[in-house]
Amino acid sequence: MDGLFSQLVVLGSSGMLLTAIIILWRRGVPAYISAYRWQSWLLAALTACVGYFGSDAGLYGGAIALVLLKGLGIPYLLRSMERRFGAQHELRPYVNTETSLLAAGVLVLFAYALARPWMAVSALPTRAGLPLAMGLLFVSLFIIVSRKKAITQVIGFLMLENAIALLAVVGTYGVPLLVEFGVFLDALMGFLVMQIFVYQIHETFDTMDVEQLTRLKH
Amino acid sequence: MIEMLLVVGQTLAGVALAPGLVGSIRWTKARLQGRRGAPLWQPYAELRKLFAKERVVSHNASWLFHAAPFVVFGTAVAVLSLVPVVFVPTGFDSIGDLFAVVYLLLLGTFFLALAGLDTGSPFGGMGASREMTVVALTEPTVALSIFALALTAQSTNLGEIIRQTVAEPARALGPGHLLAFAALFIVTLAETGRLPVDNPTTHLELTMIHEAMVLEYSGPYLALVEWGAALKLLIFFAIAANLFLPWGVAFTPSPVALVAGFALFVVKIGALGVAVAVLETRVAKLRLFRVPELLSASFVMALLAVLSTFLVR
Repeated sequence: MDGLFSQLVVLGSSGMLLTAIIILWRRGVPAYISAYRWQSWLLAALTACVGYFGSDAGLYGGAIALVLLKGLGIPYLLRSMERRFGAQHELRPYVNTETSLLAAGVLVLFAYALARPWMAVSALPTRAGLPLAMGLLFVSLFIIVSRKKAITQVIGFLMLENAIALLAVVGTYGVPLLVEFGVFLDALMGFLVMQIFVYQIHETFDTMDVEQLTRLKH
Repeated sequence: MIEMLLVVGQTLAGVALAPGLVGSIRWTKARLQGRRGAPLWQPYAELRKLFAKERVVSHNASWLFHAAPFVVFGTAVAVLSLVPVVFVPTGFDSIGDLFAVVYLLLLGTFFLALAGLDTGSPFGGMGASREMTVVALTEPTVALSIFALALTAQSTNLGEIIRQTVAEPARALGPGHLLAFAALFIVTLAETGRLPVDNPTTHLELTMIHEAMVLEYSGPYLALVEWGAALKLLIFFAIAANLFLPWGVAFTPSPVALVAGFALFVVKIGALGVAVAVLETRVAKLRLFRVPELLSASFVMALLAVLSTFLVR
């Protein structure tokens, strides 16, 4: 039973990692949004799975909240944001696609090296998901720093938040529901604030390229 | 002895089945696009027609040009005999493992590229250079993704990998397997000249890769090259189907197991063929300069597959 559980956890975590890698490869914002949606659904499924095998009913509530907020709510807001700006031309990221894909591979390797001692002391059946969660953390950070478009950076931030939630689920079987809801609220607030920022940037510069912000200095 | 006969039998069956696979993909694609489509046996008719024609060879062609079709077809048949299609032999496992499979396939591609360069036509040279670009990126991915399976099975032998996966079905759900499958699927599309990388239905277009190399071939040589390409598709499908979803492959030479194995194999590669046809209908061909991005994505997936099997044990 534990074997199946850890396989499912690793499967879900690598699926989430894969959605982050898809962002590095694709160029259109709708593809980014659907990648984020997939990632959130996977996170919810993983949370429910941990709740089932770890017999922790509180995690089901967390999974439902995840579906509602990150699986449906935020993608909807992202889509309406994207619609409002219309079809934006592609921006060249700071790092080209091939290099960023290879960098993602190296980051995941780094995460594996980093998580080794942690996995050695952990006895949970979910420990195999730890390096993948940390890899997702690094890859989302990489998305934030290497992309120029504000909306992509927002999605990178949301993925970072997903990575931390994943880390909590596989590392400690989730945090108490109350803390979880607090984090959700924080994420939602952060997202709304960033949405306002993106609107402002778009309003001021007529583009979502954050490089333009350097013009504010003059 | 009986194993030897079975291996020869499954190789011949694969050789006979390969043009049918190409025909079925074309037919499915046509139906999806609202056309009636040529019948499934159309590739067989084409091969018969080509074998009956005379061959026209450029004056500048050297022996390489004459040898390449035989090398392409011969290596494909040799590789097919190493891949467990319907039956996993136990006796002569030691003849060839996955490294032999990967590099024999590469040998055929290498000779095809040489033949493309040989006649000195601009199309041939262009096709050869593109093919080499693509192959240089796909080859490490193929090796890595099969290597991910070999790591879990602790053996580079294809039959042994299948046996281990059947013995422990939870492995097939593991991330190593799934990521490796995704990587191998992308590589299959690239290596066999399917749509996001190369368009199998165009001739005389500046974007083509495989067709540009074989442009100078005619008659029986073209038939051999085409058949070899179809075999390559079948080999990749067989690897993808039997290594990642090995259920149904016969381990004992009993007639029931063999018939069931054959039927399941046809179903599996049929499903893969439908998947390829749907994909080809949905996606457009990538710009040539975006192909390395796709292939590096598949390389990263194969790398992750190896990582997750190698480091989590």
